[in-house]
Amino acid sequence: MIIDEVRRVLSMAIEAYRDQPRVAHFLRGQMNRLDSPLRVAIAGRVKAGKSTLLNALVGDSLAPTDAGECTRVVTWYQNGPSPRVVMEPVSGDPVSLPVVRRSGALSISLGGVAASRLVVDWPSQSLRTMTLIDTPGIASVSSENSLRTTRFLTPDDDTPTEADAVIYLMKHLHASDGEFLSAFRDQGVARATAINTVAVLSRADEIGGGRADAMISARAIASRYRTEPALHGLCQNVVAVAGLLAHTGRTLTQAEFSLLAGLADGPRDALESSLLSADRFSSGSSERAALLGRFGVFGIRLSVSLIRQGVRSQAALAAELVARSGLEDLQRVLSVQFGERRDLLKARSALLALDQVLRGGGGGRLAGEVERILAATHEFAELRLLSALRSGVVSLPRALASEAEQLLGLGGVAPAARLGLAPSCSDVEVRRAAFASLRRWQAHAENPMFGRRSADACRVLVRTCEGLLV
Amino acid sequence: MTTTPIESVDRALAAIARYDRPDLEARLRQARARLADDHVRLLVVGEFKQGKSMLVNGLLGAPVCPVFDDIATAVPTVVRYAEQPVVTLVREEARIEVPIDQLPSYASEAGNPGNRERLDHIEVGIPRPILSEGLMLVDTPGVGGLSSAHGAATMSALPTADAVLLVSDASQEYTAPELEFLRNAVAVCPNVACVITKTDLYPEWRFVAKRNQEHVADAGIKASFFMVSSTLRWHALQTGDQEVNKESGYPPLVTYLRKHVLGEAESLSQRSTRHDVHAVLDQIIASLRAEQAAQEDPASAAALIADLQRAEERAAGLKERSARWQQTLSDGVADLNADVDYDLRDRMREIVREAEDALQAGDPTKIWDQFSSWVQDAASAAVSANSVWATQRARWLARRVAEHFDSEREQMLPSLRTGTADPMRSVRELTVKEEEKFGVGGRLLSGLRGGYSGLLMFGLLSSVIGLSLLNPISIGAGLLLGGKTIGDERKRIVQRRQNDAKTALRKYIDDVTFHAGKESRDMLRGMQRDLRDHFTTLAEQLKRSLQESIQAAQKSVKASSADRSARLSELVAEIAALEKVREAA
Repeated sequence: MIIDEVRRVLSMAIEAYRDQPRVAHFLRGQMNRLDSPLRVAIAGRVKAGKSTLLNALVGDSLAPTDAGECTRVVTWYQNGPSPRVVMEPVSGDPVSLPVVRRSGALSISLGGVAASRLVVDWPSQSLRTMTLIDTPGIASVSSENSLRTTRFLTPDDDTPTEADAVIYLMKHLHASDGEFLSAFRDQGVARATAINTVAVLSRADEIGGGRADAMISARAIASRYRTEPALHGLCQNVVAVAGLLAHTGRTLTQAEFSLLAGLADGPRDALESSLLSADRFSSGSSERAALLGRFGVFGIRLSVSLIRQGVRSQAALAAELVARSGLEDLQRVLSVQFGERRDLLKARSALLALDQVLRGGGGGRLAGEVERILAATHEFAELRLLSALRSGVVSLPRALASEAEQLLGLGGVAPAARLGLAPSCSDVEVRRAAFASLRRWQAHAENPMFGRRSADACRVLVRTCEGLLV
Repeated sequence: MTTTPIESVDRALAAIARYDRPDLEARLRQARARLADDHVRLLVVGEFKQGKSMLVNGLLGAPVCPVFDDIATAVPTVVRYAEQPVVTLVREEARIEVPIDQLPSYASEAGNPGNRERLDHIEVGIPRPILSEGLMLVDTPGVGGLSSAHGAATMSALPTADAVLLVSDASQEYTAPELEFLRNAVAVCPNVACVITKTDLYPEWRFVAKRNQEHVADAGIKASFFMVSSTLRWHALQTGDQEVNKESGYPPLVTYLRKHVLGEAESLSQRSTRHDVHAVLDQIIASLRAEQAAQEDPASAAALIADLQRAEERAAGLKERSARWQQTLSDGVADLNADVDYDLRDRMREIVREAEDALQAGDPTKIWDQFSSWVQDAASAAVSANSVWATQRARWLARRVAEHFDSEREQMLPSLRTGTADPMRSVRELTVKEEEKFGVGGRLLSGLRGGYSGLLMFGLLSSVIGLSLLNPISIGAGLLLGGKTIGDERKRIVQRRQNDAKTALRKYIDDVTFHAGKESRDMLRGMQRDLRDHFTTLAEQLKRSLQESIQAAQKSVKASSADRSARLSELVAEIAALEKVREAA
């Protein structure tokens, strides 16, 4: 396995650098990282809904959310046996902070100390497979905050980034989004771009002004972005998610449900007129104001019409809300794009780190080892080709390119998914399909019309098909 | 006093008709024409999907601009008053009228993606009371980040606007580009207001509005804030519900536009009209008064005439090329020309320096797409920044020149022309020559060439020691030299590509500098001509009035005493009549 290979090289490196404590410490950190869950950073412009989405993914109100710009420090949320908050100041030793929850949400007070990062341990099922990292928004008015994120995700000096993958949130594609994503492409050894980024069209419920068909509109826009050439080379996929709806759906309470049911049973006209604006709905009632804060105008409209259509229990409503928020789409994409490639992404991060150390001098034999792993591992070749195809460095005819992307695992790394077959296919069918595509790609590889790069690409794909047959 | 400016100009025209002063009449006619064709341009700008078109529709109370969930507006739409609804497409010099229902297929991103029809803008005329007062609304396409090329085009339109509405929705506070834009807008435009839209959708809009106000105050910008909800406004328009209309937040915005933007433009035009009327009447009254004084006391006429002659000389002096204001103007324009040119060149050099560094780093064909769009964005941003700065400096110069004339310099200034043409339009795109292919054939050939000479060279050398022409040494040398030749060739091709790219870059920047430089020189030259004509005419009028006074005074000395008393009563009546008109203005 690739991960074992990397671990072996890493331990060799630790051995080789044991006389340099700082480097050895850094490498040991990388070693630990191999065993820990995948690190996924959530980035995006200010107020794109990063913390809300994080809460929705965790299914709990962990990250503080607010109308103002509120995430100011890079915050790590990882699985732990018991709740714990540790602040790492810019200078000095880490400090443990009290865990205080105010009206459900975690409340962290830094007490005026300049923190470099916060680490929150929380027992959660969702955090077991990935560590989530909340970042301050880019294009923030306080450029200090914006800088923190950029420094965290795309450090100036060639240190490899601390995140293995990125979920990038945007409301609409802005110039600064494009810039940021291009900057995040790294130039390191694995030379993979766009492989570890998924873009999310966030706050999708607000796109159509909170109308009933807002999510349909949002999905249409997301699918337009998916084909946008500017984004094609920058991320693998674009998904529309209504973060607020998803978070509320995952944490819906019985009290909220009965409040909504009361609204649904009331007269239609009165409700319609009060839902014209947020102010009208919440005027004079703190209960309603709280409801609005949890659901948004769209969420209330949707929930009421769902209840009227016969969704008559809290659990059923919660499930419907989550289903309609697009959160499941995102989770599916995450599990396909990050989950299945977890080892590969982590190995890549570790190799990037090691390469960084080795470039500093010495380690001739180790450098050879790293080189060997990179060259000999077919998965890396696949990753490289996939990113080259997406960014247009290697060009194939359009139909071939999409088949190639699928074969390289864009839609999932299971053999059936790669061959574009239904997951329930029998092994015989998979083998037959794999044979057919092997023949095809062998023929393409010999095609004299292709340039050298395209022919090389075809040979990588032949190798992939062969792998599927084994 | 309820006379409109036009009426008072008409009255003054009637009053001075008998004095046979075509020069002063021309001045009043000009003022009248300016009043009749007065528009207040209101620019609606913001990043995309902030609800700009909805705002325009809400202000007009009609679905004029297309609205859609995805990016909707593709072309700037100018909405102005017209008796009958009319849509005109404007492309360079051509104007095409199209039926009203075809507007969305030209204005929207769906019908005209990326403005492939290459329209400059679309003019929509509709009969709406708010427009009849001379308001012109300009709905601009949203820009992805106000710092992009689109944003630069919007920036260059800023100096022509009388007022700017910066639209941002209540989902979040201002971002850095928005604040930067605001800072530029207040520098060149007298009225800038911030509109926060979609207050119906975001319960926390009050908080966002407060934060925005704080940000704006921190940046040291003064701007009015309006919080509106287009959805509520629309609902109110359809149901006629006044309560909802009030909640929508539109009434204060409409009042602001009426009272502040229109009102200010109006009072400015009123002030300048009044100034014109007063100046014209004052000149005539002064000559009548001089005559009156002379008639009353012929003995002192000589002193009076001497006074008047001195004044006339002074006025004549103002007309001379050597007059101080002429000096200030021509020196100022020369300085300004040099400064603006230097600023532009400096900005361009910075771009070239950065771009060349990027090109030097590797094979330019690989990064060409990104590179060329970056260069074009940077160049257009630099050009618009330069033109905004030039406009500011030009206005300052005009004020300096006016100081030589009198203290009421506000009214003395003619409206300055500002560059409306986009200089980037006539610039050719940044392209590089078709790259030279270094394919298998080329590599084979150059490899063979190097290999052949190596083989021959070493073959002949080794034949001296008795080996045949083809021996391991010569074959090895052939292979080695062949490989080296291929490597050299590849290096040479990359170098050539770099040079080609650099040449293309220089050419492009040259082109931009040339066009932008011409644009700003034209602007300055036009301004110089306008100012010179304006002030020369003023001096001329002054001189002529003084001459008339002198003549009248001289005539009075010769007149008999009977004529004199008759003329005196005439004069008193005339002066009184003119004074009345003057008061009314």
